[in-house]
Amino acid sequence: MSTDEVSSRQPSPQEGEAPPQLNQWIRAGDPWIWLTAGAVTLSLVAVVGLLLLLAVRGLGHFWPANVVAASYAEANGQIVPLLGEIIESEEVSGTRARDSGYAVTAPHVTRLLIKLGNRDSDGQDFRTVLAERLTDRRYPLNVMVLERREWGNFYGFLAAVKEQGRVVASGEQAWPVLQERLARALALFEEIRTLERGSIGTINYAMERLRLKERRLTLDDALTAEAQAELTSSRAELENRYTGLQETLTQLYSAIKRDTLVGQLADGREVEISLAKVVRAYRPNEMGTGDKIGSYLTRFWEFVSDEPRESNTEGGIFPAIFGTVLMVLIMAILVTPMGVMAAVYLREYAKQGPLTRLIRIAVNNLAGVPSVVYGVFGLGFFVYFLGGRIDQTFFPEALPSPTFGTPGLLWSSLTLALLTLPVVIVATEEGLTRIPRAIREGSLALGATQAETLWRVVLPMAAPGMMTGLILAVARAAGEVAPLMMVGVVKLAPALPLDGNFPYLHLDRKLMHMGFHIYDVGFQSPNVEAARPLVYATAFLLVMVIVVLNLAAIRIRSRLRERYRSTE
Amino acid sequence: MYLNSLQEQSPMNAAPSTNRGAGLAALIPDAPKMDLEKEEICLEVQNLNLYYGGKRALKDVSLRVARNRVTAFIGPSGCGKSTLLRCFNRMNDLVDGCRVEGSILLNGQDIYARGINVAQLRRQVGMVFQKPNPFPKSIYENVAYGLRLQGVNNRRLLDEVVERSLRGAALWDEVKDRLSDSALGLSGGQQQRLVIARAIAIEPEVLLLDEPASALDPISTLKIEELIYELKENYTIVIVTHNMQQAARVSDYTAFMYLGELVEFDDTNTLFTNPATKQTEDYVTGRYG
Amino acid sequence: MDKNRVGQHISAEFNNELADIASRVLLMGGMVEQQIRDALEALVEGNQKLGAVVVSNDHRVNALEVAIDEECMQVIARRQPAAGDLRLVVTAIKVITDLERIGDEAEGIGHVALTYVPPGPGANMELRTMGRHVSQMVRNALDAFARTDVELALQVARDEEMVDQEYDSLVRQLITYMMEDPRTISGTIQLLWAARALERIADHARNIAEYIVFLVRGRDVRHLTVDQMEKAARDVRR
Repeated sequence: MSTDEVSSRQPSPQEGEAPPQLNQWIRAGDPWIWLTAGAVTLSLVAVVGLLLLLAVRGLGHFWPANVVAASYAEANGQIVPLLGEIIESEEVSGTRARDSGYAVTAPHVTRLLIKLGNRDSDGQDFRTVLAERLTDRRYPLNVMVLERREWGNFYGFLAAVKEQGRVVASGEQAWPVLQERLARALALFEEIRTLERGSIGTINYAMERLRLKERRLTLDDALTAEAQAELTSSRAELENRYTGLQETLTQLYSAIKRDTLVGQLADGREVEISLAKVVRAYRPNEMGTGDKIGSYLTRFWEFVSDEPRESNTEGGIFPAIFGTVLMVLIMAILVTPMGVMAAVYLREYAKQGPLTRLIRIAVNNLAGVPSVVYGVFGLGFFVYFLGGRIDQTFFPEALPSPTFGTPGLLWSSLTLALLTLPVVIVATEEGLTRIPRAIREGSLALGATQAETLWRVVLPMAAPGMMTGLILAVARAAGEVAPLMMVGVVKLAPALPLDGNFPYLHLDRKLMHMGFHIYDVGFQSPNVEAARPLVYATAFLLVMVIVVLNLAAIRIRSRLRERYRSTE
Repeated sequence: MYLNSLQEQSPMNAAPSTNRGAGLAALIPDAPKMDLEKEEICLEVQNLNLYYGGKRALKDVSLRVARNRVTAFIGPSGCGKSTLLRCFNRMNDLVDGCRVEGSILLNGQDIYARGINVAQLRRQVGMVFQKPNPFPKSIYENVAYGLRLQGVNNRRLLDEVVERSLRGAALWDEVKDRLSDSALGLSGGQQQRLVIARAIAIEPEVLLLDEPASALDPISTLKIEELIYELKENYTIVIVTHNMQQAARVSDYTAFMYLGELVEFDDTNTLFTNPATKQTEDYVTGRYG
Repeated sequence: MDKNRVGQHISAEFNNELADIASRVLLMGGMVEQQIRDALEALVEGNQKLGAVVVSNDHRVNALEVAIDEECMQVIARRQPAAGDLRLVVTAIKVITDLERIGDEAEGIGHVALTYVPPGPGANMELRTMGRHVSQMVRNALDAFARTDVELALQVARDEEMVDQEYDSLVRQLITYMMEDPRTISGTIQLLWAARALERIADHARNIAEYIVFLVRGRDVRHLTVDQMEKAARDVRR
């Protein structure tokens, strides 16, 4: 080292050699440190970038953006008024603009995407325009945005509020009146929904069960007169209750239809909109930042907690979140005992040899099988074979409509359990291996049998290992989509798989899933532009759900580890 | 037992006076001399051979273990002393490819005979291992483990046994206020004494100690040795140790094993002052084997 | 010292320590032997100067005893010797005690030589013979230690009985002298003292021989008759 330094101070006769400092730098291993640190940085950037992209693209959607009113010169020279939110702007080549019929000379032009809404009136709710042709941009304070249950957003001005077709307020006085009546309509709507989903849903469910019971009795040749009478009386009672509820419902419906509003479009046309169809009405241009944040949070909460509307392009994704979590939990409940038992046999009881090694290799390879293959298997074996048998044996009364012989929650969870089984087995085995031999021997030396040792000492100590397996399994299962499309996940499920009707957890029901929801909204949606932010937002929430599930599992694991720390 | 030792120590009974000259020498009480012929035999190993696969790990070992005495096995690593110890409670059964020939009699009953309940045997022959291996449970549950296995769940009885065992293992005063704390929070020496308490809670006849102090500091080691001294009142103790001085300190009889053979078995005083074979001499004096 | 007895430990340092103890015991033995010879010479030849040298040299023997004692203690504390090594160290401790006593006896003879004037050349032949026998015994005992020679040690034990007889006859002879000529009493009593010292030296030599049997055979042969001792020493276990 020191001789190197000495020689480096003298003029070196050999040209072209790396400078001594560089040599030394390389020899000290610094480049290696830089390389490894670089790899970490890159991974970090990738992860953070991904989350940022999802968050920005997805979460920005809920911000109540200002609505611009402007005049636009169409390709044919006609000037039209436009009213909407500018969603994005991009640079495109002039050629592309010319192809669209615009007389553009510049090599590059700015193109804007504007959300115009009013699909019911104009047929399209998004439009791309050339920025240079959009003139006279203003932000009128009284622009009103309506979120509606159908036809998407409405952008326009409030002209009047009507009750039973009679104008009760118009002009500027109409706005507070609208808010007031809208609140009433929303309350009524909530009442209707509770009634339909709750009481009437329960009655329908009971009716269906009665029907199935009757059919079952017929099939069993046990439909005696008294059974028939009992059925009839139950049915009559249900129908009675139903009629009562139906009446209330009819009243509510007529009540909610009482009020309408008259909105004026940008071009002056007027449309009448029933308040029953309106979710929210606001004037973004006159809202302050505080109001906007409040509105943002409300809308975000609605997204998380509400049901989807408009073929999933609007509303919330609560059923999908619920379905994902429920399915993963059931999967965990199924896969843990299976995987743990398999691992226990492999590690504790089986004689270690070529056979166990072969099984281990097979298990490991199973983890590498593409998930869609599991889907095919699940459909073929679980749904058609097992489900079909179950239907024939236990639910003959429902045939030909299948109960379990069709994709559903149970089969989804079971398929995922199968998919994640290798992970649990491997991790549990790892946990079992880590338990010192001395502990087992200590138990055996006290006169315990192997089973007692396993149950009282080994398994509790292997719990952190099992939890690790479960964490990995949950992480994988929550993100899986392909196999689920075949075994139980649907675009829109009519009811949640967990409700107040006995037996509460309906394993045969189909469910919604966030992963599939992303795919569906992103690729199967009739309204691509409206759906795009939802794709990102859903993806972001999916990541969050997985993170929360994992954090919960990791917390449990670290608590277990804490308990057994010094033996590891 | 008490009478026995009294007789042994009385000058009247002191070793054969034939090779004593002056009468004066005969009047001086002899140091308590161990004589296996006069002992009650607890364990008897008869022509024991043990094979790991094709390897013969124990070669024709025969020895007798005296009741309420401490018998130590010493020898270099891999000499088979631990293997022999683990034969006494059939711990070797767990090793794949392990085969035992010959017999070991516990109170005259061959423990390798057909139909022996191994779990029952291990209740009679307790074992303490090299590294303290308390279960990740509370101190109380560690000691109660063996009894719970036998289905004892009576809280009062358990309390009693736990206290007695911990006292027996000289640990009670140190842990009586934190019985429900995790056993893993104890120091190494305490853990080892806890493990001993756990073993004596089920009242075995024989206590096998497999290098019980090798992972402990000198003070803890001395405590364990003192404990061994006290325990031999009630238990027959067989101890394997790498530490010759320890064997010399705690044991009444010492067996020196080398390459699977029992080279020399004698009372400890003789073995450490005047061994009969050169191999033993070389080992106990630290010469090249 | 027998190489096998101290050598071949895994610890070379331990080898050195044991070899050092043995060689210093022998060194001490050599010094004591020299003291006995010088004391006898001084006494028999009336060499008072030599007697003074013997007296003044005794402290060197004592110092060596203390040094060896300390070294043995260190070895016990640090090496915890066992079996043969333990017997060697214990033997060394005992041997040097006896050697020191022998040195003291030689010093006593030296003191006698300071004042005693021999009646004439050729006098005290019996004392001379006894002295030769005794110093031979001491040398044999030391040789037996150096060579771990049990037979030689037994020889020393047998010689001790012979020296006892010589002492008895010498005492009888000296008493006769004193009865014949009372003027010789004071000189003869001094000779009696010297004879007594030689007899004591022989006892110590025998003790050393007994330790050597213990060292080699591991049998304690103290307080036995020579025959019993021989039987015990030759009863080889191995």
